[in-house]
Amino acid sequence: MNMNVSTTGQVIGVTSAEKPPIVSLVNVSKTYVRGKLVALTDVSFDVGHGEFVVILGPSGAGKSTMLRCINRLAEPTGGQIFLRGNEITNAPRSLRKARQEIGMVFQQFNLVTRLSVMMNVLSGRLSYRSTWRSLFYSFTREDRAIALECLEMVALGHKAFQRADTLSGGEQQRVAIARALAQKPKLILADEPVASLDPKIARQVLDYLKDVSQRLGISVICNLHQIDFAREYAERVIGLSQGKLIFDGPPGALTDDILNQIYGSRMESAVE
Amino acid sequence: MSSQYAAAVDQGLAREASWRHRRMAVRLLVMAGFAIVLWLSASRIHLSLMNIILGVPNMADFFGRMVPPDFSNLMSLAPPTIETVQIAAWGTVIAVVASAPLALLAAHNTSPHPVIYFVTRLFLNLLRSINELIYALLLVSAVGLGPFPGVLAIALHATGMLAKFVAEEIEHVNRGPVEALQAAGAGRMQIILFGIMPQVLPAVVGYILYRFDVSIRSATVLGLVGAGGLGFALITSMKMFKYHETATCILVIILLIWAADAISSHLQKKIL
Repeated sequence: MNMNVSTTGQVIGVTSAEKPPIVSLVNVSKTYVRGKLVALTDVSFDVGHGEFVVILGPSGAGKSTMLRCINRLAEPTGGQIFLRGNEITNAPRSLRKARQEIGMVFQQFNLVTRLSVMMNVLSGRLSYRSTWRSLFYSFTREDRAIALECLEMVALGHKAFQRADTLSGGEQQRVAIARALAQKPKLILADEPVASLDPKIARQVLDYLKDVSQRLGISVICNLHQIDFAREYAERVIGLSQGKLIFDGPPGALTDDILNQIYGSRMESAVE
Repeated sequence: MSSQYAAAVDQGLAREASWRHRRMAVRLLVMAGFAIVLWLSASRIHLSLMNIILGVPNMADFFGRMVPPDFSNLMSLAPPTIETVQIAAWGTVIAVVASAPLALLAAHNTSPHPVIYFVTRLFLNLLRSINELIYALLLVSAVGLGPFPGVLAIALHATGMLAKFVAEEIEHVNRGPVEALQAAGAGRMQIILFGIMPQVLPAVVGYILYRFDVSIRSATVLGLVGAGGLGFALITSMKMFKYHETATCILVIILLIWAADAISSHLQKKIL
């Protein structure tokens, strides 16, 4: 058995496979405006290899903030975050390396619309390439092979050379997933990936996300506010309400009582 | 309308009417103020219809000396015309090369330090405020007569204009794709190349074409202070009292600018 201990003495990740969990949050807090606005309070959990975790909660619960703290698009004001056992909270030099291992999918897709689908997916390989090479927009043969493979995984290989803005919303999100996959990540963070899509397309996208997670053994932390999707796709649900973690368990254990705690009076927004 | 809202509606209409009248009164006052100021300044700058009427015979005399234009050595104007275009082209090219780094330094989101941002903006404002003609006058006394000071004069002014424009475009890019590249572990320069440049490119290329058009116009004028091209041919012919040739120069200038305008706007439309 392998036990990793954080600086506060808390045990993080007890695994028998001698591998630390992919990511560990220990007492992570985030406040804004010198402490007056509290976004997260003492959030702690681990995510293991290949796990598909859904973070459930209404808007404003802190789901986005928490996800962005993991790849440090936002800086936590308290607590620690460990990536594969290594602390990344206060390490500026290893930031690029850490981000290389974490892919991210956004609600607004965030593709570069004027570039081709292929270029967008290739940009997931940038962390592996030198600045000098990128000056000429050049990638290796291996990069191109990986990019095409990732596009095939989301069934969009045939649209590789179209401009990204010619694709529908669901297709663009799949390209975004392919871009994240091109990084060969250990973890994918998905921040409300289907909030802008209609339910049928949303399910398609979540199907792809779940599929690649299982096939490639990539851990996924997915923010959702729709309870139905959480029940359908999650192996494990973490409930967040007003910045606090109030539930951590299988979707089957989501009773009405617990859902009420998470959503309070905003239940309607969660049921589609 | 005999509804329960009748009283409130009447009240609202009365209030709205009084606001409208107040705004109207303020506008009339402001316009009257402007009119008075303009009237007072008219005499200071010796605006006089009488002088125009008295000057008509002089204008007719001058016009008579120019007409009919001397087309006999039209071909001798070919070299100055080409020179004018070359001055404009080189001035624009130098401006494009110089503006690229300056624009990056002068944009909030790409500038490495606020002090650098501030100093660069100051520098660019300096470049912009000085007219090409003044640059040309100074440069002619420094490097001598000919097209070279013309090129530098255009380059200096155009750099200021172009860099500021590109910096504004850079500051207005959609941050989503930029964030996505950050999350993927891309470096600073890579983010600029893949996230920012594709977004600003169409507008910037359009502006460069516009600047080239403006530069051709400027290049014709710069010749008047000795900086080569058609303007030089024009002032030379005037100094030698060969007004028929002056007329030809003017016609060629008009044709050149008309052609440049047409080509420039055609290309700009194709880009956008």
